[in-house]
Amino acid sequence: MTEREPIRVSEMTLHDFRNYESETIHPAPGVNLICGENAQGKTNCLEAISLLSTGRLLRGSKDSLAIRHGATQARVSATLNPMGSALAVQLALGSRKKVLVNSVSLPRASDVIGRLPTICFSSQDLGIATGEPSERRHFLDTELAQIYPAYLRHLTIYRRALEQRNALLKQAQEGSFYPEAFEAWEDQMVEHGTEIRRIRQDWITWLNPVAQSAHQRLAPGEGFLLTYEPREQDLALALSSRREDLARGTTTCGPHRDELLIEVGGKAVRTFGSQGQQRTSVISLKLAVLESAREVFGFPPVLLLDDVFSDLDQNRRSALVSAALNEGGQVFLTCTEPGQVGGELLRSSTIFLVQSGRMGHHEATL
Amino acid sequence: MVFAKPLAELIAQLERLPGVGPKSAQRLAFHILRMRDDDVRRLAIALTHAKESLRLCQQCQSVTEAEVCEICSDPRRNPVQICVVAEPRDIAAVERLNEFKGTYHVLHGLLNPLENVGPEQLKIRELLTRLRDTVEEVIIATNPTVEGDTTALYLARLIKPLGVTVTRLAHGMPVGGELDYADTATLLSALEYRREL
Ligand SMILES: Nc1ncnc2c1ncn2[C@@H]1O[C@H](COP(=O)(O)OP(=O)(O)OP(=O)(O)O)[C@@H](O)[C@H]1O
Ligand SMILES: [Mg+2]
Ligand SMILES: [Zn+2]
Repeated sequence: MTEREPIRVSEMTLHDFRNYESETIHPAPGVNLICGENAQGKTNCLEAISLLSTGRLLRGSKDSLAIRHGATQARVSATLNPMGSALAVQLALGSRKKVLVNSVSLPRASDVIGRLPTICFSSQDLGIATGEPSERRHFLDTELAQIYPAYLRHLTIYRRALEQRNALLKQAQEGSFYPEAFEAWEDQMVEHGTEIRRIRQDWITWLNPVAQSAHQRLAPGEGFLLTYEPREQDLALALSSRREDLARGTTTCGPHRDELLIEVGGKAVRTFGSQGQQRTSVISLKLAVLESAREVFGFPPVLLLDDVFSDLDQNRRSALVSAALNEGGQVFLTCTEPGQVGGELLRSSTIFLVQSGRMGHHEATL
Repeated sequence: MVFAKPLAELIAQLERLPGVGPKSAQRLAFHILRMRDDDVRRLAIALTHAKESLRLCQQCQSVTEAEVCEICSDPRRNPVQICVVAEPRDIAAVERLNEFKGTYHVLHGLLNPLENVGPEQLKIRELLTRLRDTVEEVIIATNPTVEGDTTALYLARLIKPLGVTVTRLAHGMPVGGELDYADTATLLSALEYRREL
Protein backbone atom coordinates (compact mmCIF):
# COMPACT_ATOMS: atom_id res chain seq x y z
CA MET A 1 0.00 0.00 0.00
CA THR A 2 1.31 3.46 -0.83
CA GLU A 3 1.77 5.59 2.25
CA ARG A 4 -0.17 8.81 2.36
CA GLU A 5 1.11 11.82 4.23
CA PRO A 6 -0.01 11.41 7.84
CA ILE A 7 -2.85 13.58 9.12
CA ARG A 8 -1.64 15.73 11.99
CA VAL A 9 -2.73 18.52 14.30
CA SER A 10 -0.88 21.67 13.30
CA GLU A 11 -2.77 24.06 15.55
CA MET A 12 -5.09 23.46 18.48
CA THR A 13 -7.07 25.91 20.60
CA LEU A 14 -8.68 25.04 23.93
CA HIS A 15 -11.43 27.27 25.27
CA ASP A 16 -12.73 26.62 28.79
CA PHE A 17 -11.87 22.97 28.36
CA ARG A 18 -11.00 21.24 31.68
CA ASN A 19 -8.45 23.48 33.43
CA TYR A 20 -7.59 25.44 30.25
CA GLU A 21 -9.12 28.89 29.91
CA SER A 22 -7.80 29.93 26.54
CA GLU A 23 -4.74 28.36 25.04
CA THR A 24 -3.40 27.81 21.53
CA ILE A 25 -0.54 25.51 20.62
CA HIS A 26 1.26 24.73 17.37
CA PRO A 27 2.43 21.14 17.67
CA ALA A 28 5.28 19.84 15.52
CA PRO A 29 4.67 17.12 12.89
CA GLY A 30 6.93 14.76 14.86
CA VAL A 31 7.24 14.13 18.58
CA ASN A 32 5.67 16.61 21.01
CA LEU A 33 6.66 16.27 24.61
CA ILE A 34 4.14 17.62 27.11
CA CYS A 35 5.98 18.09 30.40
CA GLY A 36 4.71 19.29 33.75
CA GLU A 37 4.09 18.48 37.37
CA ASN A 38 1.09 16.45 38.46
CA ALA A 39 -2.40 17.93 37.98
CA GLN A 40 -1.26 20.71 35.61
CA GLY A 41 -3.21 19.64 32.51
CA LYS A 42 -1.09 17.14 30.56
CA THR A 43 -3.76 14.45 30.33
CA ASN A 44 -6.38 17.12 29.61
CA CYS A 45 -4.38 18.20 26.57
CA LEU A 46 -4.29 14.65 25.19
CA GLU A 47 -7.97 14.29 25.99
CA ALA A 48 -8.72 17.32 23.82
CA ILE A 49 -7.00 15.65 20.86
CA SER A 50 -8.80 12.41 21.57
CA LEU A 51 -12.11 14.31 21.68
CA LEU A 52 -11.45 15.75 18.22
CA SER A 53 -10.62 12.26 17.01
CA THR A 54 -13.53 10.26 18.45
CA GLY A 55 -16.13 12.85 19.47
CA ARG A 56 -15.88 11.46 23.00
CA LEU A 57 -13.99 12.18 26.18
CA LEU A 58 -11.54 9.72 27.66
CA ARG A 59 -12.80 6.92 29.90
CA GLY A 60 -16.46 7.65 29.22
CA SER A 61 -16.41 10.93 31.15
CA LYS A 62 -19.59 12.99 30.91
CA ASP A 63 -19.42 15.93 28.49
CA SER A 64 -20.49 18.51 31.05
CA LEU A 65 -17.58 17.56 33.35
CA ALA A 66 -15.06 18.75 30.79
CA ILE A 67 -16.41 22.32 30.76
CA ARG A 68 -14.12 24.46 32.90
CA HIS A 69 -15.59 25.07 36.36
CA GLY A 70 -17.53 28.32 36.25
CA ALA A 71 -17.86 28.38 32.44
CA THR A 72 -21.00 27.33 30.52
CA GLN A 73 -19.39 26.02 27.38
CA ALA A 74 -16.14 24.58 26.15
CA ARG A 75 -14.65 24.52 22.70
CA VAL A 76 -11.75 22.54 21.30
CA SER A 77 -10.72 23.35 17.76
CA ALA A 78 -7.86 22.34 15.52
CA THR A 79 -6.41 22.76 12.08
CA LEU A 80 -5.49 19.47 10.47
CA ASN A 81 -2.74 19.23 7.90
CA PRO A 82 -1.92 18.40 5.11
CA MET A 83 -5.53 19.19 4.06
CA GLY A 84 -5.83 22.35 6.15
CA SER A 85 -9.30 21.37 7.32
CA ALA A 86 -10.83 22.70 10.53
CA LEU A 87 -12.26 20.46 13.21
CA ALA A 88 -14.10 21.67 16.32
CA VAL A 89 -16.04 20.20 19.22
CA GLN A 90 -18.35 22.35 21.35
CA LEU A 91 -19.65 21.26 24.72
CA ALA A 92 -22.35 23.35 26.37
CA LEU A 93 -24.28 22.93 29.60
CA GLY A 94 -27.82 21.81 28.88
CA SER A 95 -27.46 21.22 25.16
CA ARG A 96 -26.10 18.59 22.83
CA LYS A 97 -22.46 18.30 21.92
CA LYS A 98 -21.64 19.72 18.51
CA VAL A 99 -18.92 18.57 16.13
CA LEU A 100 -18.04 20.83 13.23
CA VAL A 101 -15.97 20.11 10.15
CA ASN A 102 -15.05 23.28 8.27
CA SER A 103 -17.84 24.99 10.25
CA VAL A 104 -20.46 22.47 9.08
CA SER A 105 -22.12 20.66 11.95
CA LEU A 106 -22.09 16.85 11.67
CA PRO A 107 -25.35 14.94 12.35
CA ARG A 108 -23.77 12.91 15.17
CA ALA A 109 -20.62 13.39 17.22
CA SER A 110 -19.41 9.91 16.29
CA ASP A 111 -19.50 10.88 12.61
CA VAL A 112 -16.19 12.63 13.19
CA ILE A 113 -14.43 9.27 13.51
CA GLY A 114 -11.87 8.70 10.78
CA ARG A 115 -10.99 12.35 10.18
CA LEU A 116 -8.16 12.41 12.70
CA PRO A 117 -7.13 8.83 13.51
CA THR A 118 -5.43 8.49 16.89
CA ILE A 119 -4.18 5.64 19.02
CA CYS A 120 -4.23 6.29 22.73
CA PHE A 121 -1.96 4.59 25.21
CA SER A 122 -1.89 5.29 28.93
CA SER A 123 -0.80 3.56 32.10
CA GLN A 124 -4.48 2.65 32.63
CA ASP A 125 -4.26 0.31 29.65
CA LEU A 126 -2.58 -2.19 31.95
CA GLY A 127 -6.15 -3.13 32.81
CA ILE A 128 -6.40 -4.84 29.41
CA ALA A 129 -4.10 -7.53 30.80
CA THR A 130 -5.16 -7.51 34.44
CA GLY A 131 -8.81 -6.51 34.43
CA GLU A 132 -12.17 -8.16 33.96
CA PRO A 133 -13.19 -9.48 30.51
CA SER A 134 -15.27 -6.31 30.08
CA GLU A 135 -12.04 -4.28 29.91
CA ARG A 136 -10.78 -6.38 27.03
CA ARG A 137 -14.11 -6.05 25.23
CA HIS A 138 -13.93 -2.31 25.82
CA PHE A 139 -10.47 -2.35 24.26
CA LEU A 140 -11.77 -4.23 21.20
CA ASP A 141 -14.77 -1.93 20.85
CA THR A 142 -12.93 1.39 21.11
CA GLU A 143 -10.12 0.40 18.76
CA LEU A 144 -12.38 -1.24 16.18
CA ALA A 145 -14.86 1.65 16.22
CA GLN A 146 -12.01 3.95 15.27
CA ILE A 147 -10.75 1.71 12.49
CA TYR A 148 -14.06 0.47 11.01
CA PRO A 149 -17.08 2.83 11.19
CA ALA A 150 -19.33 -0.13 10.26
CA TYR A 151 -18.29 -1.81 13.50
CA LEU A 152 -19.63 1.08 15.56
CA ARG A 153 -22.95 0.86 13.75
CA HIS A 154 -23.29 -2.87 14.42
CA LEU A 155 -22.34 -2.25 18.05
CA THR A 156 -24.87 0.56 18.51
CA ILE A 157 -27.73 -1.47 17.07
CA TYR A 158 -26.71 -4.61 18.95
CA ARG A 159 -26.55 -2.77 22.28
CA ARG A 160 -29.95 -1.18 21.78
CA ALA A 161 -31.57 -4.50 20.82
CA LEU A 162 -29.87 -6.11 23.84
CA GLU A 163 -31.29 -3.43 26.12
CA GLN A 164 -34.76 -4.02 24.67
CA ARG A 165 -34.47 -7.79 25.07
CA ASN A 166 -33.37 -7.34 28.68
CA ALA A 167 -36.44 -5.17 29.26
CA LEU A 168 -38.60 -8.01 27.90
CA LEU A 169 -36.86 -10.47 30.25
CA LYS A 170 -37.61 -8.19 33.21
CA GLN A 171 -41.26 -7.93 32.15
CA ALA A 172 -41.40 -11.72 31.84
CA GLN A 173 -40.16 -12.02 35.43
CA GLU A 174 -42.99 -9.72 36.47
CA GLY A 175 -45.42 -12.10 34.82
CA SER A 176 -46.03 -10.84 31.28
CA PHE A 177 -44.26 -13.18 28.89
CA TYR A 178 -44.98 -12.98 25.16
CA PRO A 179 -42.55 -15.25 23.30
CA GLU A 180 -43.34 -13.67 19.93
CA ALA A 181 -42.27 -10.27 21.25
CA PHE A 182 -38.71 -11.58 21.61
CA GLU A 183 -38.05 -12.81 18.12
CA ALA A 184 -37.60 -9.55 16.21
CA TRP A 185 -35.16 -8.21 18.83
CA GLU A 186 -33.26 -11.48 18.74
CA ASP A 187 -33.11 -11.29 14.93
CA GLN A 188 -31.41 -7.91 15.29
CA MET A 189 -29.00 -9.25 17.91
CA VAL A 190 -28.11 -12.24 15.73
CA GLU A 191 -27.58 -10.14 12.61
CA HIS A 192 -25.42 -7.50 14.25
CA GLY A 193 -23.87 -9.72 16.93
CA THR A 194 -22.61 -12.09 14.24
CA GLU A 195 -21.00 -9.18 12.41
CA ILE A 196 -19.41 -7.90 15.63
CA ARG A 197 -17.91 -11.33 16.27
CA ARG A 198 -16.71 -11.73 12.71
CA ILE A 199 -14.96 -8.34 12.73
CA ARG A 200 -13.38 -8.97 16.15
CA GLN A 201 -12.30 -12.48 15.14
CA ASP A 202 -10.77 -11.36 11.83
CA TRP A 203 -8.96 -8.52 13.54
CA ILE A 204 -7.48 -10.76 16.24
CA THR A 205 -6.33 -13.20 13.56
CA TRP A 206 -4.60 -10.31 11.80
CA LEU A 207 -3.22 -8.87 15.03
CA ASN A 208 -1.75 -12.11 16.38
CA PRO A 209 1.43 -12.47 14.30
CA VAL A 210 2.10 -8.72 14.49
CA ALA A 211 1.76 -8.70 18.29
CA GLN A 212 3.85 -11.87 18.46
CA SER A 213 6.79 -10.32 16.66
CA ALA A 214 6.54 -7.16 18.80
CA HIS A 215 6.55 -9.40 21.84
CA GLN A 216 9.61 -11.27 20.56
CA ARG A 217 11.53 -8.01 20.48
CA LEU A 218 10.53 -7.14 24.05
CA ALA A 219 10.80 -10.58 25.62
CA PRO A 220 12.75 -12.94 23.35
CA GLY A 221 11.77 -16.59 23.59
CA GLU A 222 8.51 -16.01 25.45
CA GLY A 223 5.48 -17.27 23.54
CA PHE A 224 2.59 -14.84 23.03
CA LEU A 225 -0.90 -15.72 21.87
CA LEU A 226 -4.21 -13.90 21.42
CA THR A 227 -7.38 -15.99 21.19
CA TYR A 228 -10.88 -14.63 20.67
CA GLU A 229 -13.28 -16.76 22.67
CA PRO A 230 -16.95 -16.47 21.80
CA ARG A 231 -19.23 -17.33 24.69
CA GLU A 232 -21.16 -19.80 22.52
CA GLN A 233 -20.97 -21.12 18.96
CA ASP A 234 -24.52 -20.51 17.78
CA LEU A 235 -25.93 -17.17 18.90
CA ALA A 236 -29.35 -17.69 17.28
CA LEU A 237 -29.76 -20.99 19.10
CA ALA A 238 -28.53 -19.64 22.43
CA LEU A 239 -30.87 -16.64 22.27
CA SER A 240 -33.90 -18.67 21.27
CA SER A 241 -33.59 -21.11 24.19
CA ARG A 242 -34.11 -18.25 26.72
CA ARG A 243 -34.49 -20.46 29.78
CA GLU A 244 -31.42 -19.29 31.71
CA ASP A 245 -31.99 -15.70 30.59
CA LEU A 246 -35.58 -15.75 31.85
CA ALA A 247 -34.40 -17.07 35.21
CA ARG A 248 -31.74 -14.39 35.53
CA GLY A 249 -33.64 -11.53 33.96
CA THR A 250 -30.72 -10.66 31.69
CA THR A 251 -29.08 -11.88 28.47
CA THR A 252 -26.27 -14.32 29.25
CA CYS A 253 -25.07 -15.04 25.71
CA GLY A 254 -23.73 -12.93 22.86
CA PRO A 255 -20.64 -10.89 21.98
CA HIS A 256 -21.15 -8.70 25.07
CA ARG A 257 -20.07 -11.75 27.07
CA ASP A 258 -17.11 -12.86 24.91
CA GLU A 259 -13.50 -12.93 26.07
CA LEU A 260 -10.17 -12.07 24.51
CA LEU A 261 -7.64 -14.48 26.00
CA ILE A 262 -4.07 -13.21 26.25
CA GLU A 263 -1.47 -15.90 26.90
CA VAL A 264 2.21 -15.55 27.64
CA GLY A 265 4.35 -18.68 27.78
CA GLY A 266 1.21 -20.79 27.34
CA LYS A 267 -0.59 -19.36 30.39
CA ALA A 268 -3.30 -16.73 30.78
CA VAL A 269 -1.42 -13.53 31.55
CA ARG A 270 -4.30 -12.18 33.63
CA THR A 271 -4.09 -14.94 36.24
CA PHE A 272 -0.56 -16.27 35.92
CA GLY A 273 1.47 -13.43 34.45
CA SER A 274 4.03 -11.45 36.46
CA GLN A 275 3.55 -7.69 36.51
CA GLY A 276 6.32 -7.38 33.97
CA GLN A 277 4.72 -9.93 31.67
CA GLN A 278 1.41 -8.14 31.96
CA ARG A 279 2.98 -4.82 30.96
CA THR A 280 4.88 -6.39 28.07
CA SER A 281 1.77 -8.06 26.73
CA VAL A 282 -0.19 -4.80 26.71
CA ILE A 283 2.63 -3.00 24.91
CA SER A 284 2.88 -5.77 22.30
CA LEU A 285 -0.85 -5.62 21.78
CA LYS A 286 -0.90 -1.84 21.43
CA LEU A 287 2.02 -1.85 19.00
CA ALA A 288 0.07 -4.33 16.89
CA VAL A 289 -3.00 -2.05 17.01
CA LEU A 290 -0.83 0.79 15.77
CA GLU A 291 0.32 -1.38 12.86
CA SER A 292 -3.26 -2.30 12.06
CA ALA A 293 -4.45 1.32 12.04
CA ARG A 294 -1.54 2.25 9.82
CA GLU A 295 -2.44 -0.53 7.40
CA VAL A 296 -6.10 0.52 7.23
CA PHE A 297 -5.56 4.27 6.94
CA GLY A 298 -2.47 4.09 4.78
CA PHE A 299 -0.55 6.39 7.15
CA PRO A 300 0.40 6.26 10.85
CA PRO A 301 -2.29 7.57 13.24
CA VAL A 302 -1.49 10.27 15.78
CA LEU A 303 -0.06 8.58 18.85
CA LEU A 304 -1.20 9.77 22.27
CA LEU A 305 1.06 8.37 24.97
CA ASP A 306 -0.02 9.42 28.44
CA ASP A 307 2.30 8.83 31.33
CA VAL A 308 3.65 5.59 29.90
CA PHE A 309 7.14 5.97 31.29
CA SER A 310 6.56 6.12 34.99
CA ASP A 311 6.25 2.39 35.47
CA LEU A 312 8.25 0.92 32.61
CA ASP A 313 11.79 -0.40 32.78
CA GLN A 314 14.51 0.75 30.38
CA ASN A 315 14.01 -2.12 27.94
CA ARG A 316 10.28 -1.63 27.40
CA ARG A 317 10.68 2.13 27.44
CA SER A 318 13.11 2.12 24.54
CA ALA A 319 10.97 -0.38 22.62
CA LEU A 320 8.03 2.00 22.87
CA VAL A 321 10.13 5.02 22.04
CA SER A 322 11.68 3.50 18.96
CA ALA A 323 8.28 2.26 17.80
CA ALA A 324 6.92 5.78 18.23
CA LEU A 325 9.83 7.29 16.32
CA ASN A 326 9.84 4.71 13.55
CA GLU A 327 6.19 5.34 12.84
CA GLY A 328 7.09 8.72 11.44
CA GLY A 329 3.72 10.15 12.40
CA GLN A 330 2.80 12.76 14.96
CA VAL A 331 3.28 11.83 18.62
CA PHE A 332 2.07 13.48 21.82
CA LEU A 333 3.81 12.19 24.89
CA THR A 334 3.34 13.33 28.46
CA CYS A 335 5.85 13.07 31.26
CA THR A 336 6.62 14.69 34.59
CA GLU A 337 10.38 14.53 34.11
CA PRO A 338 11.99 15.15 30.69
CA GLY A 339 14.84 13.05 32.09
CA GLN A 340 12.64 9.94 31.86
CA VAL A 341 12.51 10.24 28.12
CA GLY A 342 16.11 9.65 27.16
CA GLY A 343 18.49 11.58 24.94
CA GLU A 344 17.57 10.31 21.49
CA LEU A 345 13.90 11.15 21.78
CA LEU A 346 14.50 14.38 23.68
CA ARG A 347 16.68 15.73 20.88
CA SER A 348 14.02 15.15 18.23
CA SER A 349 11.13 16.47 20.33
CA THR A 350 9.28 19.74 20.54
CA ILE A 351 8.70 20.46 24.21
CA PHE A 352 5.68 22.07 25.83
CA LEU A 353 5.78 22.94 29.51
CA VAL A 354 2.39 22.77 31.18
CA GLN A 355 1.58 24.71 34.31
CA SER A 356 -1.94 25.23 35.68
CA GLY A 357 -3.61 25.15 32.31
CA ARG A 358 -1.03 27.23 30.46
CA MET A 359 1.27 25.74 27.87
CA GLY A 360 4.60 27.32 27.16
CA HIS A 361 6.46 26.35 24.04
CA HIS A 362 10.01 25.44 24.87
CA GLU A 363 12.92 25.06 22.49
CA ALA A 364 14.72 21.78 23.08
CA THR A 365 17.70 23.10 24.92
CA LEU A 366 17.68 20.51 27.66
CA MET B 1 -43.48 29.62 44.93
CA VAL B 2 -46.97 28.44 45.89
CA PHE B 3 -49.59 28.92 43.18
CA ALA B 4 -53.31 29.36 43.74
CA LYS B 5 -54.99 25.99 43.50
CA PRO B 6 -56.67 26.38 40.05
CA LEU B 7 -53.39 27.63 38.58
CA ALA B 8 -51.42 24.78 40.10
CA GLU B 9 -53.95 22.36 38.62
CA LEU B 10 -53.65 23.94 35.15
CA ILE B 11 -49.83 23.71 35.32
CA ALA B 12 -50.02 20.10 36.46
CA GLN B 13 -52.31 19.18 33.53
CA LEU B 14 -50.14 20.96 30.96
CA GLU B 15 -47.04 19.26 32.32
CA ARG B 16 -48.51 15.87 31.48
CA LEU B 17 -48.33 16.69 27.76
CA PRO B 18 -45.38 15.25 25.82
CA GLY B 19 -42.47 17.67 25.40
CA VAL B 20 -43.78 20.06 28.05
CA GLY B 21 -41.51 20.40 31.08
CA PRO B 22 -42.29 22.24 34.33
CA LYS B 23 -40.93 25.52 32.96
CA SER B 24 -42.92 25.54 29.73
CA ALA B 25 -46.01 24.37 31.62
CA GLN B 26 -45.77 27.47 33.82
CA ARG B 27 -45.13 29.69 30.81
CA LEU B 28 -48.18 28.27 28.98
CA ALA B 29 -50.38 28.56 32.08
CA PHE B 30 -49.53 32.23 32.62
CA HIS B 31 -50.06 32.87 28.93
CA ILE B 32 -53.52 31.31 29.13
CA LEU B 33 -54.33 33.53 32.14
CA ARG B 34 -53.44 36.60 30.13
CA MET B 35 -55.54 35.51 27.11
CA ARG B 36 -58.95 37.07 26.43
CA ASP B 37 -61.86 35.20 27.98
CA ASP B 38 -63.45 34.15 24.69
CA ASP B 39 -60.12 32.98 23.30
CA VAL B 40 -59.68 30.73 26.32
CA ARG B 41 -63.21 29.46 25.86
CA ARG B 42 -62.53 28.71 22.20
CA LEU B 43 -59.41 26.77 23.17
CA ALA B 44 -61.31 24.76 25.77
CA ILE B 45 -64.07 23.97 23.30
CA ALA B 46 -61.59 22.98 20.61
CA LEU B 47 -59.96 20.57 23.05
CA THR B 48 -63.12 18.79 24.11
CA HIS B 49 -64.70 18.95 20.65
CA ALA B 50 -61.66 17.37 19.02
CA LYS B 51 -61.57 14.65 21.63
CA GLU B 52 -65.31 13.95 21.41
CA SER B 53 -65.77 14.05 17.66
CA LEU B 54 -62.59 12.31 16.56
CA ARG B 55 -62.02 8.59 16.58
CA LEU B 56 -59.83 6.02 14.90
CA CYS B 57 -60.76 4.94 11.38
CA GLN B 58 -62.17 1.43 11.52
CA GLN B 59 -59.83 0.35 8.76
CA CYS B 60 -56.54 2.22 8.88
CA GLN B 61 -56.67 3.39 12.54
CA SER B 62 -55.83 6.94 11.53
CA VAL B 63 -57.60 9.81 13.28
CA THR B 64 -60.90 10.68 11.60
CA GLU B 65 -64.32 12.21 12.14
CA ALA B 66 -66.32 9.55 10.31
CA GLU B 67 -66.35 5.80 10.93
CA VAL B 68 -64.05 5.33 7.98
CA CYS B 69 -61.56 8.03 7.00
CA GLU B 70 -61.49 9.95 3.72
CA ILE B 71 -58.65 7.95 2.25
CA CYS B 72 -60.10 4.54 3.11
CA SER B 73 -63.52 5.50 1.69
CA ASP B 74 -62.09 7.01 -1.51
CA PRO B 75 -62.93 4.58 -4.39
CA ARG B 76 -59.88 5.78 -6.35
CA ARG B 77 -57.51 4.44 -3.72
CA ASN B 78 -56.16 1.00 -4.35
CA PRO B 79 -56.77 -1.25 -1.33
CA VAL B 80 -54.31 -3.96 -2.41
CA GLN B 81 -51.38 -1.79 -1.32
CA ILE B 82 -51.06 -0.84 2.36
CA CYS B 83 -48.43 1.57 3.60
CA VAL B 84 -47.75 1.00 7.31
CA VAL B 85 -46.69 4.04 9.35
CA ALA B 86 -46.02 4.63 13.04
CA GLU B 87 -48.07 7.82 13.58
CA PRO B 88 -51.04 9.55 11.85
CA ARG B 89 -48.79 12.52 10.97
CA ASP B 90 -46.62 10.21 8.83
CA ILE B 91 -49.57 9.79 6.44
CA ALA B 92 -49.47 13.51 5.67
CA ALA B 93 -45.79 13.24 4.72
CA VAL B 94 -46.44 10.51 2.15
CA GLU B 95 -49.67 12.16 0.93
CA ARG B 96 -47.83 15.39 0.10
CA LEU B 97 -46.00 13.46 -2.64
CA ASN B 98 -49.22 12.79 -4.58
CA GLU B 99 -47.58 9.57 -5.70
CA PHE B 100 -48.92 6.81 -3.52
CA LYS B 101 -52.38 5.60 -4.54
CA GLY B 102 -52.80 2.79 -2.02
CA THR B 103 -54.12 2.97 1.55
CA TYR B 104 -52.47 3.33 4.95
CA HIS B 105 -52.30 1.64 8.31
CA VAL B 106 -51.27 3.45 11.48
CA LEU B 107 -49.57 1.43 14.22
CA HIS B 108 -49.70 4.21 16.83
CA GLY B 109 -46.14 3.63 17.96
CA LEU B 110 -43.19 1.30 17.52
CA LEU B 111 -42.12 -1.78 19.45
CA ASN B 112 -40.20 -0.49 22.46
CA PRO B 113 -40.07 -2.78 25.53
CA LEU B 114 -38.08 -0.15 27.47
CA GLU B 115 -41.19 2.05 27.24
CA ASN B 116 -43.50 -0.89 27.82
CA VAL B 117 -44.70 -0.98 24.24
CA GLY B 118 -45.18 -4.51 22.93
CA PRO B 119 -47.17 -5.88 19.96
CA GLU B 120 -50.42 -5.75 21.92
CA GLN B 121 -50.09 -1.98 22.40
CA LEU B 122 -49.87 -1.43 18.63
CA LYS B 123 -52.62 -1.73 16.01
CA ILE B 124 -51.14 -4.93 14.63
CA ARG B 125 -54.13 -7.21 15.12
CA GLU B 126 -56.20 -4.70 13.12
CA LEU B 127 -53.63 -4.84 10.31
CA LEU B 128 -53.74 -8.64 10.20
CA THR B 129 -57.53 -8.51 9.99
CA ARG B 130 -57.26 -6.26 6.92
CA LEU B 131 -54.94 -8.78 5.29
CA ARG B 132 -57.79 -11.31 5.10
CA ASP B 133 -59.03 -9.32 2.08
CA THR B 134 -56.92 -9.30 -1.05
CA VAL B 135 -53.77 -7.36 -0.26
CA GLU B 136 -50.75 -7.71 -2.51
CA GLU B 137 -48.15 -5.54 -0.88
CA VAL B 138 -47.46 -4.14 2.56
CA ILE B 139 -45.00 -1.25 2.45
CA ILE B 140 -43.42 -0.62 5.84
CA ALA B 141 -42.57 3.05 6.26
CA THR B 142 -41.37 3.17 9.87
CA ASN B 143 -38.41 5.41 10.76
CA PRO B 144 -34.93 3.99 10.21
CA THR B 145 -34.20 3.71 13.95
CA VAL B 146 -33.47 0.46 15.80
CA GLU B 147 -37.10 0.43 17.00
CA GLY B 148 -38.45 1.24 13.53
CA ASP B 149 -36.33 -1.47 11.92
CA THR B 150 -37.23 -4.06 14.54
CA THR B 151 -40.95 -3.29 14.21
CA ALA B 152 -40.56 -3.77 10.44
CA LEU B 153 -38.83 -7.12 11.04
CA TYR B 154 -41.57 -8.17 13.42
CA LEU B 155 -44.29 -7.35 10.88
CA ALA B 156 -42.43 -9.07 8.05
CA ARG B 157 -42.19 -12.24 10.16
CA LEU B 158 -45.98 -12.16 10.67
CA ILE B 159 -47.08 -11.12 7.20
CA LYS B 160 -44.78 -12.96 4.79
CA PRO B 161 -46.21 -16.42 5.64
CA LEU B 162 -49.61 -15.09 4.51
CA GLY B 163 -48.28 -14.80 0.97
CA VAL B 164 -48.25 -10.99 0.97
CA THR B 165 -45.21 -9.13 -0.38
CA VAL B 166 -43.55 -7.05 2.35
CA THR B 167 -41.33 -4.12 1.36
CA ARG B 168 -39.52 -1.47 3.35
CA LEU B 169 -38.70 2.13 2.42
CA ALA B 170 -35.08 2.37 1.26
CA HIS B 171 -32.73 4.44 3.34
CA GLY B 172 -29.77 6.18 1.85
CA MET B 173 -28.14 9.47 1.03
CA PRO B 174 -30.34 12.56 1.22
CA VAL B 175 -30.74 13.97 -2.29
CA GLY B 176 -28.62 17.08 -2.66
CA GLY B 177 -26.65 16.17 0.46
CA GLU B 178 -22.88 16.31 0.45
CA LEU B 179 -21.03 13.05 0.84
CA ASP B 180 -18.35 14.59 3.02
CA TYR B 181 -20.79 15.79 5.68
CA ALA B 182 -23.15 12.81 5.68
CA ASP B 183 -23.55 10.84 8.86
CA THR B 184 -21.70 7.54 8.91
CA ALA B 185 -24.78 5.38 9.45
CA THR B 186 -26.57 6.87 6.44
CA LEU B 187 -23.51 6.49 4.25
CA LEU B 188 -23.06 2.87 5.34
CA SER B 189 -26.65 1.93 4.55
CA ALA B 190 -26.54 3.82 1.26
CA LEU B 191 -23.50 1.74 0.38
CA GLU B 192 -25.14 -1.47 1.52
CA TYR B 193 -28.30 -0.83 -0.52
CA ARG B 194 -26.56 0.59 -3.59
CA ARG B 195 -28.02 -0.31 -6.96
CA GLU B 196 -26.78 -1.00 -10.42
CA LEU B 197 -26.98 1.75 -13.02
N1 LIG C 1 -13.96 20.83 34.26
C1 LIG C 1 -12.82 21.20 34.89
N2 LIG C 1 -12.64 22.50 35.24
C2 LIG C 1 -11.50 22.89 35.86
N3 LIG C 1 -10.48 22.06 36.15
C3 LIG C 1 -10.61 20.77 35.81
C4 LIG C 1 -11.77 20.27 35.16
N4 LIG C 1 -11.62 18.95 34.95
C5 LIG C 1 -10.42 18.63 35.45
N5 LIG C 1 -9.79 19.70 35.96
C6 LIG C 1 -8.49 19.80 36.63
O1 LIG C 1 -7.45 19.65 35.71
C7 LIG C 1 -6.28 19.38 36.46
C8 LIG C 1 -5.23 18.73 35.59
O2 LIG C 1 -5.64 17.47 35.20
P1 LIG C 1 -4.71 16.48 34.30
O3 LIG C 1 -5.31 15.13 34.47
O4 LIG C 1 -4.58 16.98 32.92
O5 LIG C 1 -3.32 16.56 35.04
P2 LIG C 1 -1.93 15.92 34.60
O6 LIG C 1 -1.04 17.04 34.23
O7 LIG C 1 -2.14 14.88 33.59
O8 LIG C 1 -1.44 15.29 35.97
P3 LIG C 1 -0.78 13.86 36.31
O9 LIG C 1 0.69 14.03 36.11
O10 LIG C 1 -1.12 13.69 37.74
O11 LIG C 1 -1.39 12.84 35.45
C9 LIG C 1 -6.77 18.59 37.67
O12 LIG C 1 -6.32 19.22 38.84
C10 LIG C 1 -8.28 18.68 37.62
O13 LIG C 1 -8.86 19.02 38.85
MG1 LIG D 1 -2.19 12.77 33.68
ZN1 LIG E 1 -58.77 4.93 7.17
